[in-house]
Amino acid sequence: MMDAKEIAAKIAENLDPNKDKERLGTLYTDGKVRKRREWRGLEDTMYDYVRWLGIMGMLGKFIVKPRNIKGFFRYRWMQNYLAVPMMIDRHTQGLRGSYLRIAHTEFDLVAQDVALLLENLFKGDRNVGNDEEFSKKVVLVDENEMTTFMMGFPNLKCLSRETPSVYVSVLLNQHAAEPYIDIAQEYGLPGDVCPMPEAEMGVSIADDFPVLGACAVQCNTTCDGSLLGNGVISKRLELEDGVPCFQLAAPLRHREDDVQEYAAQEIRNTIAFIEKHTGHKWDWDNYFECAKRVNESTRHRLDWLEMNKTDYPQVFGSNLALYTETNYMAICGKLPAFVEADRKITKYAEQAYKNRAMAVKEYRHRAIVWGVQSHFYFDFLIWLQNCWGIIPLTDMLSMVSTRVLSEDDKEQAIYDMAWLQENMIMRNRTHGGYKVLLDELWDFCEEFNADTVILWEHMACKALVGMHGQFEEKAREKGIHLIWVKHDLFDPRIVSRQGIRDQINNYMRTVFMEEPLDPTLEVLPDDQSW
Amino acid sequence: MKKKALKVLKTTGLVAGGFFGVTFTVYYFNLDMKMTAAMQPLLNYVYDRVERDQHL
Repeated sequence: MMDAKEIAAKIAENLDPNKDKERLGTLYTDGKVRKRREWRGLEDTMYDYVRWLGIMGMLGKFIVKPRNIKGFFRYRWMQNYLAVPMMIDRHTQGLRGSYLRIAHTEFDLVAQDVALLLENLFKGDRNVGNDEEFSKKVVLVDENEMTTFMMGFPNLKCLSRETPSVYVSVLLNQHAAEPYIDIAQEYGLPGDVCPMPEAEMGVSIADDFPVLGACAVQCNTTCDGSLLGNGVISKRLELEDGVPCFQLAAPLRHREDDVQEYAAQEIRNTIAFIEKHTGHKWDWDNYFECAKRVNESTRHRLDWLEMNKTDYPQVFGSNLALYTETNYMAICGKLPAFVEADRKITKYAEQAYKNRAMAVKEYRHRAIVWGVQSHFYFDFLIWLQNCWGIIPLTDMLSMVSTRVLSEDDKEQAIYDMAWLQENMIMRNRTHGGYKVLLDELWDFCEEFNADTVILWEHMACKALVGMHGQFEEKAREKGIHLIWVKHDLFDPRIVSRQGIRDQINNYMRTVFMEEPLDPTLEVLPDDQSW
Repeated sequence: MKKKALKVLKTTGLVAGGFFGVTFTVYYFNLDMKMTAAMQPLLNYVYDRVERDQHL
């Protein structure tokens, strides 16, 4: 038995002497989950506990519905949703005060939105709810697609099957896509294809997608791998399930004026296709309502980015990345709850900025995170700040369009929708020439006063790998520290989370010759973790 | 009347305290995630037995 003195000494040993912060690495186990949740001080622990109760309530409400239970036991990927509370824990690691509140405002809302998406999918799904009337109001959309063309259909449901089965599943459990990647390869797909479309294709081959919808709109927004996956998925949808598919092909050279008319015509064709297959008419009033919300969200995002250019950034790292992706691409102004969340986040951020709040005790390096991030390790950004004091001021996927949409001109609105489609997250940088991918990175480094670039190198992404040498050459010329981080997007069997961390650890120790802020985070036994 | 109100208050306090005690223990010691982690292998047994039309 330890006496009180020994217990006090043990606690003190595990606390960061400067900020009452636990040594976060001590909470890890070599299993799926952590030993216990973090102690954040009384006020923040109570806040986190109350938000956890809210999440548990939301999950409980979801699973008591018989239709959802049926869906839970029908689809293999549903098991990943057991890890929802842990995903939120991972993205709030080490956070206190306003940073913790911003994270919960975002992540809890995204979790609710995904729960609603699942409910709707199961309602119309022929394998589960089989509500035919509801299914007739569903337009299936690609997960890599801006949903702008649904902003004028208030009575239709815009649902993505890939989002909950693959995209969110990997955020919840790093190993979630592995069974589907393996199935796709068993059927002859080579192993060097991007694991994202590969896994989506695997879900389709494994008959693990809900089947519903009046029609579907696919897109070419990401890459050739995505086109390949979509081909297999649409074949099953159209020829076996009887769901007609439209291919929305946005131009690749999206900064060129001469492609805009073609892009606009694609939007007109998409709207006409949806009208034909659902019988619903485009509603301009609803579109402009959504456009106003998109504009407000853009203004908030710009405010956050402006703050991140100062010495006291407030909405950055994980708090910027995942929320921007969801709000910009999947929501597109369709849900007022996201604008309300934007306002709340701005309020927290402005207050924290006024108080010169900092997320960790020391900001050693100001970094821009570029390239396509590893999905199975999305909380890597928070690890950067907790372990090494590297502040991810912004990331490539958050540097999306800031163009103000017309709020009353119908002709311009078609061009706005086309512009957003062309400027889907990631695609607006990985396509469109070296200016958007390479040149603008150095402009951002200057604007944000960044000394470091963390450059994700997704080894199966041909869009970025081809420019490796040009990044190195320019970084050297500009005197910017360029840290390459190789990964395979959805597949931690190729490069593990520790493999990712090691690339940073090596650079920090050998080039910067620094010691970590929290040494317990440098090497973690999380290979089996969710 | 006063006695009754006091009894109601006491019962409410006990229930609220009990709820807090149990849920906070689950929260802090991560018992919710430990339980679901233990459930996962059993679920795979169910998923392996679902009839599917697997093909390209």
